[in-house]
Amino acid sequence: MAHKILIDTDPGIDDSMAILSALRSPELEVIGLTTVFGNADVDSCALNGLRLVELEGHDHIPVTKGSGAPLFREELDLGTQVHGLDGMGNTNPPPPRGTLDPRFGVQFILDMVKQYPGEVTLVPLGPLTNIALALQQDPGITDQVKEVVLMGGCAFGSGNISPVAEANIFHDAHAAEIVFRANWDVTMIGLDVTTKIIVKPADLEKMYAANNPAVDLLHRIQPCYQKFHDQIYGLNGAFHLHDPSVTAFLLAPDLFTCIEAPVYVETSGLCAGKTIADIHRQWGDRKPVKIAVDADASAVINLLIQRLSQ
Amino acid sequence: MRRFWIDTDTASDDAVAILMALRWPDVHVEGISTVAGNVPLEMCNQNARFTVELCGMATPVYAGASQPLLREPFWAYFFHGPDGMGGMNYPEAKLPIQQAHAVEAMIDAFRNAPGEITLVTLGPLTNIALALGIAPDIGRKIKVCYVMGGAANTVGNITPAAEFNIWVDPEAARLVYHSGLPLVQVGWELCRGDANLLEEDLEYVRNLDTVYGHFSIDCNRQAIQTNREWLGDPALPLPDPVTMAIALDPQISMRQSKHYVDIETDSELTRGMTVVDERGVTKKEPNVEVVWEIDVPAWKEILYKTLR
Repeated sequence: MAHKILIDTDPGIDDSMAILSALRSPELEVIGLTTVFGNADVDSCALNGLRLVELEGHDHIPVTKGSGAPLFREELDLGTQVHGLDGMGNTNPPPPRGTLDPRFGVQFILDMVKQYPGEVTLVPLGPLTNIALALQQDPGITDQVKEVVLMGGCAFGSGNISPVAEANIFHDAHAAEIVFRANWDVTMIGLDVTTKIIVKPADLEKMYAANNPAVDLLHRIQPCYQKFHDQIYGLNGAFHLHDPSVTAFLLAPDLFTCIEAPVYVETSGLCAGKTIADIHRQWGDRKPVKIAVDADASAVINLLIQRLSQ
Repeated sequence: MRRFWIDTDTASDDAVAILMALRWPDVHVEGISTVAGNVPLEMCNQNARFTVELCGMATPVYAGASQPLLREPFWAYFFHGPDGMGGMNYPEAKLPIQQAHAVEAMIDAFRNAPGEITLVTLGPLTNIALALGIAPDIGRKIKVCYVMGGAANTVGNITPAAEFNIWVDPEAARLVYHSGLPLVQVGWELCRGDANLLEEDLEYVRNLDTVYGHFSIDCNRQAIQTNREWLGDPALPLPDPVTMAIALDPQISMRQSKHYVDIETDSELTRGMTVVDERGVTKKEPNVEVVWEIDVPAWKEILYKTLR
């Protein structure tokens, strides 16, 4: 039976690749998308969510709009420099055919978890605001959610949005602390592993050769992402594989190496958004998180190319 | 009829405040939402339902957040007794708890009656913060929110810097204070001094010999003792009822003014402090009406009216 996943997302260029490869994988059943601010404003992200499910005939999958701002509204800081104002690399895609499910994203999460107790994996690819709100409204969902596999954080290396923090966690550090503190199974696919998985132009060429709607969309939107990675990291057309690594993990967890440690999130000051791994259990008995630290990079990339090409 | 919604961590003084609203002639209480604070949520649920039943009403009681947003809970049994009601161990209320979560119910209520409902908060602001997080539009749909909380540039109670409700969930308070919701802050300082029910006031209430009068003093018997031992203050402090009195009759507030107020959330020392920019030095947009002084005899008369 297919593994039910609920993707919470701020599409987003890398979210798009992650979502399309999930939709194209029979082992995964995407039961819905909840959208959140992050890479772009939540309205744009919601429209992109609709576009992604509609692209290859998955229109029946509900897409809901979630939080437009972090829990504690300081200034809203979006990733539009990386993902474009429209979240789709400034390619101005046509409006989606369908409409959003009227439910607020948080309500949708609670409904789905109740409807399929023990079956749903939450897959957050953006700031954790919706997840934190769901958890606070019904702390009992920790028993009903199968597990949480999220893209975010950086336990051991440099950050991206700040010297120490990864963008998703940075954008709502309080929400992240609420999520990591709760008593459920969390796998953190963060910069520790994603910066080791580098998609090169040759990989992209192989992918685009398939000429299907999914890779055609990625072909249109990814140049913006490549440009950013070149400017900041000198990667010359290559980029780090963030959100799509989560899809790869869901399909083939054995390709990843993980360690276990409780995670704490700094919520203020210079290190706001830093995910701290308490490896030696010095701080008490919060439930350990599985932190991905390494992967068979070429196998991960080939797996995704295969799914996106078929 | 004026429409009220009460959010409460129902312990002894909350119960009296709820009673006042339920028994006020031109107020209809649409719903009561409970939040963990003075005592754990299950106790708040029982205490709220019991109080509603005592008043012969069937006001729906909704269970809300069982813990603060980010902080560990801190229970105030030392002030309110082991059951939150002075150890009176009242029987199990028959009125059921509603199925819907308080936050959902609150959002629906405000959306269905925009600008009509007065919100009175008597505990930590966790539920309100969650509601605003989920439905930011309701900030402009609540008529006004009276907050029992904070200490406007004066001493705290639970710590030297902070009052209990704000201290328990400072992040929630900060979110609510910056949400654009029209807020009136009634700090704990307004229930001190002569605003306490003094010995002669307690005697007056006992002599009314009504169910409501006896209930109000009985469930607060721990508070009376702790008030003396812990704070060195006379007889019975009733911050929640003072706040409710102001909500019922705004004339009780004799002096109030709007200021920029922020809540400290990073420091351990000043956690939960309500920092009121009295002189306007930050030049930030005022967000809270701060009550500085109340009409003490008038506040007590409002209470007595509901106890008779």
